[in-house]
Amino acid sequence: MSAIEFAANGVVYSSIIVLGSIGLAIIYSIAGFANFAHGDTMTVGAYAAFVAFGIIGGLGFGVLGLPIGFFLALLVGIAIAALVAIVTEKIVYKPLEIGSIGLLITSIGVAFVYRAMIQLGFGADANRFDIPAQRPIEELIPYGIRITSHDLAIVLSATVLVVAVHVLLQYTDLGRKMRAMADNPDLARASGIRTYRIKLWSWVLGAGLAGAGGGFLGLYNNLNPRMGFSVLLVIFAAVILGGIGSVYGAMLGGFLIGMVVEMTPLLSRVGIPIGVDYGPAVAFLIMVAVLLVRPTGIAGDGTAGGEGI
Amino acid sequence: MGQQAGRESEMSDRFDIGAYWEDFTPIERVLTAALGIVTLLLILFLGTGRLGPSYFLFLFGLGGMYALLSLGLNSQWGFTGLINFSVAAFFGIGAYGAALMTGSNSPIAGGFNPIFGLLIGLLLAGIIAVAIGIPTLRLRADYLAIATLGLAEVIRLFLQNERQWTNGSAGIRGIPSFFEGWPILGEFPRLMPGLEIGIIPGTAIVLETTFWRQLLNVSLMLVFLGAVFFILRRAQRSPWGRLQRTIRADEDLAKALGKNTYRYKMQAFVLGSLIMALAGVFYAHLNLFVNPGDLDPITTFYVWVAVILGGSGSNRGALLGGFVVVAIREGSRFANDIAFIPLDAAPLRLLLIGLLIVLVMRFRPQGLLPPQRELIWPSAVGNKAPSGPDKGVPQSDGGDPNE
Amino acid sequence: MSESTVNAQTNAHMSKGDVLMRVEDLQKSFGALQVTDHASFAVERGSITGLIGPNGAGKSTMFNLISGFYQPEGGSVEVNDADVTGMQPYEVAEHGLIRTFQTPRKVEGMTVREAMLVGPQNQPGESFFELFTAPSRVGEAERENLDRVEQVLEEFEIDHLATQPATDLSGGQMKLVELARAMLAKPDILLLDEPVAGVNPTLANKLADQIRRLNEAGTTFLIIEHDMDFIMNLADPIIVLDQGSVLTEGTPDDIRANERVIDAYLGGGGA
Repeated sequence: MSAIEFAANGVVYSSIIVLGSIGLAIIYSIAGFANFAHGDTMTVGAYAAFVAFGIIGGLGFGVLGLPIGFFLALLVGIAIAALVAIVTEKIVYKPLEIGSIGLLITSIGVAFVYRAMIQLGFGADANRFDIPAQRPIEELIPYGIRITSHDLAIVLSATVLVVAVHVLLQYTDLGRKMRAMADNPDLARASGIRTYRIKLWSWVLGAGLAGAGGGFLGLYNNLNPRMGFSVLLVIFAAVILGGIGSVYGAMLGGFLIGMVVEMTPLLSRVGIPIGVDYGPAVAFLIMVAVLLVRPTGIAGDGTAGGEGI
Repeated sequence: MGQQAGRESEMSDRFDIGAYWEDFTPIERVLTAALGIVTLLLILFLGTGRLGPSYFLFLFGLGGMYALLSLGLNSQWGFTGLINFSVAAFFGIGAYGAALMTGSNSPIAGGFNPIFGLLIGLLLAGIIAVAIGIPTLRLRADYLAIATLGLAEVIRLFLQNERQWTNGSAGIRGIPSFFEGWPILGEFPRLMPGLEIGIIPGTAIVLETTFWRQLLNVSLMLVFLGAVFFILRRAQRSPWGRLQRTIRADEDLAKALGKNTYRYKMQAFVLGSLIMALAGVFYAHLNLFVNPGDLDPITTFYVWVAVILGGSGSNRGALLGGFVVVAIREGSRFANDIAFIPLDAAPLRLLLIGLLIVLVMRFRPQGLLPPQRELIWPSAVGNKAPSGPDKGVPQSDGGDPNE
Repeated sequence: MSESTVNAQTNAHMSKGDVLMRVEDLQKSFGALQVTDHASFAVERGSITGLIGPNGAGKSTMFNLISGFYQPEGGSVEVNDADVTGMQPYEVAEHGLIRTFQTPRKVEGMTVREAMLVGPQNQPGESFFELFTAPSRVGEAERENLDRVEQVLEEFEIDHLATQPATDLSGGQMKLVELARAMLAKPDILLLDEPVAGVNPTLANKLADQIRRLNEAGTTFLIIEHDMDFIMNLADPIIVLDQGSVLTEGTPDDIRANERVIDAYLGGGGA
């Protein structure tokens, strides 16, 4: 495989990671804790889309090799992931009288419950969307790029979603309130924003994006109960690289980390013998390096990250 | 939380059983009764041969191992509020350290005396703990949580993939028992005669070499556990432990009072990691075989459940939690054997662990046995230890510094 | 404790009136907001200095900058003639500066006595190794500290609280405990952040009396307070912060009469 081909794969994988990390960053800054159930929320979205696709079917015509039914199923996945997150917030997180660290630990429990439910329902083995695999796009092969129309669909859909998030945050009333609350919850409350409603919306948005990311991850690889948990580390690395609490940092961080993970095999060409298995390890090392050098990340404003540094 | 501070715990040196019982919280009474019932059941099962004595000792060793892991996590999370999601990794470092030094198919250095394995395992765990602590312990608590989640994954990947050093998923076998090559103890299991005990006619219980070997293992575990428990209890009741608890509640307060909190957090993190590695060393010599599967992340969360269920910051809670977790593990296996639940054991266990975490955090975040009394350096309060909230400041009476 | 601190302490009574702490051209911003804007002032040894200003004037940020919790972007902080700019909080404390917080979190599962015992500096028992290598030294120091705690609790007239769980205290009692604990660290200068916020008037008077007593015994105070009656009766001089810089400085009477101060308070929405 050529470097450019790794890069092309990197863009596809990054698109998925970006969706996950934006969602995590939104929940981190508004709900106020590191949500370790975020990866498994992606899994929930993926399986919901999988079930919905089984029911809806292809519906005949398609876009970029994907039947229109897939996109409808993806919307169902997004909705279910958001719904599950809201229900979890209402019955698990809201009644808790513990700080953000207690919430963090609770979210691990939540993650296990999600995953266990999925495993009980669908078994531990991998599933696939019933969509015929595509051959690489002919026109791009001469340039050394072998990506399928499915890959292209993932990148385009993710781009649409990222632009939508940007528009939401910058140009809508809800977005302004969310930013205000992320900056300073007390001030937001004092200025009359109904913060709990904003928090619920941030769960809808964060988990919905996770659901979309999960659906695409299922299409890109396959569906299995561990799929979300196994990208959680990569997503956390992206969020830390971007600067915890910064949505735009998370976009950039997600893109960079996704690229690096997919391009890891290239390291062996410059004399570092490291296999593709070590993708998450590379993400981890980048994360540790960021924490050492600039704990506030690329986009951090110098106050969010470390204390007393 | 409404704790009765200054309450005498079961650790005190009083022998008045009645007063002792009076002093128990309702939960302590229920737990004591439950422990009594479990003990009776075990005796019954052992006596009727439904539970093999060797297997019982193996399980008991496993329980001790979990208790040890829980004590390790307790000294990080319970004392200081450090979130370590790498329990399985530090356990694995200890287990692999021991296995690589002593195992017969070790690609590195098999055949050494287990003492070397112990030292190497602890040394490795200490180095890795410092390395992960440096970038994260100056930062907010959630950074350590995220970084340790990553560390666990990296260590597991390394052990699985670097076959030239670790044998990969084939694992390392031929690990001797810990006392192999020791005078007397090394030969003890083979020298002991086979005993036959017939409590109920026709169901004789046979005690053979395996039994004696497991008995040695359990003794080793009790030595490890006792030493660690003693050290932690001492540390917890010292100014050091007091400082750690202050950091846990409000790190800024400790900083403002002139304490170098980074250093203390590092000490607690390394201490806990060493204890986890010790549990790993014990496991290698108990199971005589290690593979990367032993580092399954679920182990980490078994230990978390043990600690938060037992009571964060409470050492006896951690002991209790460790044994309860083995009961859950073995219980779910047992439930699977009954087979009227047509469900997989693995996700069921995952569900149970997940629900337990959520429920404990929701309904009893302080755990079953939260620390009950003032924790002041024993020799400073001497025999006039405060035993109730209404007693005054203890007089300094020059008690024996060694308790 | 560093050598300079020790010297400064022995000189304390000889050179009353000299500067104990100096803030010079201090700057700090959060994003686009300049919260500390070239602020300079000094605190004289032996004084009770008040630090007031409307909401958002940057008082708490100032405390955080002085005590090492925030890193300034420019300027310097001197304590006991040592430059402590950019030091960690514990290093600043080693130079004789201790601070309290506006809203202290209570340590769960600790009695008042245990919470107090965290105050004394450089306890041998805070070294993990000495717990095992020198247990008698640890025990001896612990006994001495227990005696000091007992004595300080009596001085503050809160010895009846000694075995109460720290979580059971009222806000006012907690403020007294905080002050008492800070004194166990033997500071040269103590920074108090709103010591009577949410404290009933009786306890507030008690706190004021304690602060005066400690001041007469040689401790310098710098106090942020919104309660104007309290601070005007207690402190002299008073420094007024507004929008991150020092607006004016003077005796309570000067400040009361100063129109710029009144304007600042009215403009900033009042205190």
